Amino acid sequence: MRPILLQGHERALTQVKFSKEGDLLFSVSKDHVVCAWYSANGERFGTYKGHQGALWTVDVDPTTTLLATGGADNTLRLWEIKTGKELKRWEFNTSIRRAEFSEDGRQLLGVTEKRQGQLSNIFVYDIVPDVTADQSTDPTLHITVELPRVTVAGFSALSRYIITGHENGSVAQWDAKTGELIKEEFPHEDGMSVTDLQWSSDRTYFITASKDKTAKLIDSETLEVLKTYVADTPLNSAAITPEPTNYVILGGGQAAMDVTTTSARQGKFEARFYHKIFEEEIGRVRGHFGPLNYVAVSPDGKCYCSGGEDGYVRVHHFDPPYFDFRFEVERERERGLQM
Amino acid sequence: MAANVQNIPGRTDWAEDDTEDLATAIPPPQITKNKDGTETIITVFLNEDGKRVKRTQRIRRTVVKKKENPRVAERRQWAKIGPEAGKPAGPRPDTTTLGENIIFRPVMGYKSGQVQEKAPEEDRKAEQLKKMQIKCRICSGDHFTTKCPFKDTMAPEGAEGGAAADLGEDADDTAGAAGAGAGGSNYVPPHLRKGAAGAGGGERMGGKYERDDLATLRVTNVSEFAEESDLREIFERHGRVTRVFLAKDRETGRAKGFAFVSYADRSDASRACEKVDGYGFGHLILKVEFAKKAT
Repeated sequence: MRPILLQGHERALTQVKFSKEGDLLFSVSKDHVVCAWYSANGERFGTYKGHQGALWTVDVDPTTTLLATGGADNTLRLWEIKTGKELKRWEFNTSIRRAEFSEDGRQLLGVTEKRQGQLSNIFVYDIVPDVTADQSTDPTLHITVELPRVTVAGFSALSRYIITGHENGSVAQWDAKTGELIKEEFPHEDGMSVTDLQWSSDRTYFITASKDKTAKLIDSETLEVLKTYVADTPLNSAAITPEPTNYVILGGGQAAMDVTTTSARQGKFEARFYHKIFEEEIGRVRGHFGPLNYVAVSPDGKCYCSGGEDGYVRVHHFDPPYFDFRFEVERERERGLQM
Repeated sequence: MAANVQNIPGRTDWAEDDTEDLATAIPPPQITKNKDGTETIITVFLNEDGKRVKRTQRIRRTVVKKKENPRVAERRQWAKIGPEAGKPAGPRPDTTTLGENIIFRPVMGYKSGQVQEKAPEEDRKAEQLKKMQIKCRICSGDHFTTKCPFKDTMAPEGAEGGAAADLGEDADDTAGAAGAGAGGSNYVPPHLRKGAAGAGGGERMGGKYERDDLATLRVTNVSEFAEESDLREIFERHGRVTRVFLAKDRETGRAKGFAFVSYADRSDASRACEKVDGYGFGHLILKVEFAKKAT
């Protein structure tokens, strides 16, 4: 496969997201710019300008009409994707670390940073999926998180729970209606930050990546760890490929500050592919010159992209061997089904 | 204009004249349908120098249907925004570039540091061979000479004839290959030594290869884009395949156009020979026959 390199950013990428159909790709970086790209050919659709600080997060609603971005300028903004118009701006006391739409796109979640004596907060807003509508200014739910700093968060299936990942490696489950803390688990090593949380296509389970060099597949109902993927480098991101492929993609690499002291090979700046069920590594894709800050898989499973500390987004469209690959047991099972 | 009037005397209406002239100068393109489904289009047009050019194109129309989500199709038509506004469709070279090709093949039991650009089987073989330092005398490949797929078709490097070649000549050749003039001091392989009378018999040892030959098919006219796995897929339908070898160019990595397929059972082989001979694969028709034993 020939990766497509997208050079729309001047600084490290922080998040990349695919639209629901996988045709558009949104990237945010520390250089204040949001870029939208066509994933098929890497053509840039446009940019969304207005933010005054580094951007930490982006999310697109399931109808691909609205885009939410948040960053270090303490704002969470809503954009109309088609025209690039800013529809709404919410301001906070600290920066927004994570923004995510619910499955139906009618709720938007924003996580604020714990800093300057402020605790992490989770704000949930009702969203009208219409570009002409007036979006509400006040959150429908506000959770002040007494736990360590929230790094990642998202809505589980049917917007039942809000799942958060924390700086100390814990994962917590909150009631998305009342904001009550239901459960807290410690799947990752203590003190090792959870760096990413991405959902399976039905949101009944999710994958967390952590600085403790592992990624874990966790049930969103029970917070039970289903699978563990062990890597040899701190991880920044993990993604689950949709059916019919059963893989997870992990991205990471040593911290940006240590990069200059080692060669690219040692830096382990590769996307790692693991089999989702067997937890076994099946391959790597290299290419970045810095750690991978985010990996995202297109919801149709036909391509994935990675955003790196080096400022590049690399879009990879998979080749047939990727889809044909089976473990021996899987092959046998398929044969059994055919007969 | 004046020239036109001169050419066609009797015309007074200049407007009519002009249209008439155009019509005679450029006849509409002729499209004729051929029997094999192709179309021939003959177009006459004026080129940049104002000369009449006749162009004959033979084309085949193939309809490629692609389903696309209407939403995606709609989004593709959106006018670009921001710095991209007003720019033509298609990727811009300042923001979008193509990276170098990456061969990504998922492998069971992947280990870091392992060369990824290889199929798993090849890898295993290569690893074994690394320990043993094997070089084929026929094709310089990484296998035993006896296992060389070209052993039936090619003579060893540096040897002109096959096994039945004149012994003296062979000795000369090997000496030449060694790069030394004096024959006496050079190593001469046992089967080429003068003392080894009837060396022809000792040439190809090992009965197992004979058995192999019996159930081995020679496949020719293979598309150069073929892969071993493709062939295996085709031939596995007719029985258990023990070996598939597709000759590839070492530099380009493309198939050379022939392959050998061995079956565990000879009856399978003969059935496959019958069935697959004449099978259309890629854009070519496969020719399958039993591999000839080396003479």
